[in-house]
Amino acid sequence: MRKYYRNKWAIMLFALPALLLYTLIVIYPVLQSMYRSFFDWDGLGEGTFNGLDNYIRLFNDPLLMTSLKNGALFALVLVVFQLGLGTIMALVIADPRLRGRKVLKTGYFIPVVLSVTVVCQLWIAIYDPTNGLINKLFQVLGIPYQQNWLSSPTVSIIAIAFVNAWQYMGYQFSLLYAGVKSIPEQYMEAATIDGCTKWGAHRRITIPMMVETYKFCLIIAVTSGISAFVQMLIMTNGGPGTTNYTLTFMIYRYAFGEFEYGYACAVAVVLVAISLLVTAIINRVFRQEKVTH
Amino acid sequence: MLLRQKSGSILMQGVLWIYFLVSVYPLFWMVSYSLKNNDEIFVTNPFGLPLNFRYENYINAWSQFSIPNYFLNSVVVSTVSTIGILFLAVMFAYTIARMQWKLRSAARVYILIGMFIPLQVIMIPLAILVKDFNLVNTYGALIIPYIAFGLPFSSLVFYGFMVSIPIELEESACMDGASIYRTFFQIIVPIVKPAIATIAIFQFLGAWNEFLLAYILISDEAMKTLPLGLLFFQGEYSTDWGGMGAVMTMASIPMVVVFLFFSEQVERALTVGSAVKG
Repeated sequence: MRKYYRNKWAIMLFALPALLLYTLIVIYPVLQSMYRSFFDWDGLGEGTFNGLDNYIRLFNDPLLMTSLKNGALFALVLVVFQLGLGTIMALVIADPRLRGRKVLKTGYFIPVVLSVTVVCQLWIAIYDPTNGLINKLFQVLGIPYQQNWLSSPTVSIIAIAFVNAWQYMGYQFSLLYAGVKSIPEQYMEAATIDGCTKWGAHRRITIPMMVETYKFCLIIAVTSGISAFVQMLIMTNGGPGTTNYTLTFMIYRYAFGEFEYGYACAVAVVLVAISLLVTAIINRVFRQEKVTH
Repeated sequence: MLLRQKSGSILMQGVLWIYFLVSVYPLFWMVSYSLKNNDEIFVTNPFGLPLNFRYENYINAWSQFSIPNYFLNSVVVSTVSTIGILFLAVMFAYTIARMQWKLRSAARVYILIGMFIPLQVIMIPLAILVKDFNLVNTYGALIIPYIAFGLPFSSLVFYGFMVSIPIELEESACMDGASIYRTFFQIIVPIVKPAIATIAIFQFLGAWNEFLLAYILISDEAMKTLPLGLLFFQGEYSTDWGGMGAVMTMASIPMVVVFLFFSEQVERALTVGSAVKG
């Protein structure tokens, strides 16, 4: 058996294609990005080494603050909407006596399988100031509020983040629902016998036991907020002006719009660093709060 | 007390159905306006079903946009990428789950790193790499990166699956004189079939809807995948809402139908990630 598993040819044949492709297409470009972030480079020639210049320039670039702020807001909308509302929905729908669960779950999930282009363009129509669904709805209901959803500098980032939150709600909901379902029913029964109300029991038992689920959902929501791009590209092209810039938008514009590849690489490195840092922090916080059973 | 609980639970169920509307009504609205003219969409009947169905929107849209072509491109790219990922990942997973070699655990960690690498950090060097290999505006420009990018996640799911397979099956195959290749293809692969189905759905959907790389690497109209081809709102057709709705509806129908048939499998496939990253 040992000899069987030590077949060198088989190991090479099975492992090498994957490892080579992964190294060439994933690892090598990552290292390139890091290396090139220290260069003044237009993507063509060798470029000139300029030390930390790109990073110094980046930390003085007003677009960085805009992007970080937008990333944080985007993430906040996702967390509040998907994790907050998603939790309530997952807890209610987990009740086995509820009718129509299949229909509800399917309805929540349909937007997830749609193309992001379709979703963004649909929401451009929904947000349309004169003919869009939302402003029309306000008119019909007699609410004297109209909003230029996508061209208002203050509202547009929230409006855009909401589109992402809406589309992937079903995904986060499914994760949360699976988390609720994984908790043995005896726990709930015991708590209700001890005189807890249903929501009290959820608050003291279900939610604390879902630490792992929350950790995962939170990492997804926050990192997709930090790296958001497609929605602003399609819906406002980063505008009005540069108000809807994100880190990925900066990379895109500097690299493919202005051919400052070296500088764009520095932005990319900062983006990864922030994502990893946030992931590490979330992991850390949730480890400390882990409940021992 | 009981009454209060009862009304509370009705209220909570109300939340579920209200969000159901929030989730589904925009799509109903889109399908409705795809069958209306602008007058009906904007003034006379913005919310409900069309009064008379204007199928001509669909006919016009079909002739104006190369939808079948985008479809074909998306089908080719997604299918080939998925098959490539499955092949490479299942084989690789077997070597880190079972085979005995010195760099085994190093290889596992090495591939795990890929889970934490966002596309954004590789996209600039990748764009240059694709250009250097003369792959710009070819299927390869998308298929090769999609395969490489799908490997870490898929390999780790298969790995998790394989380490839980009892070793006796392979032992007896070995006793019977089967080669390692035969054991792999005739015993291991059939056992991991459920995981293969899950990963296939996951990766296919991912490739089908991938936007960022396609946007950077494909500019030729004839090579565009569906998410790129549909990007026309700010273009010349932006005043023709009916036609636009028709295009978007046609583009969405196949995926939604597939999802309605296999909703349980799709949900499981997309949420399998929590088992790996968590």
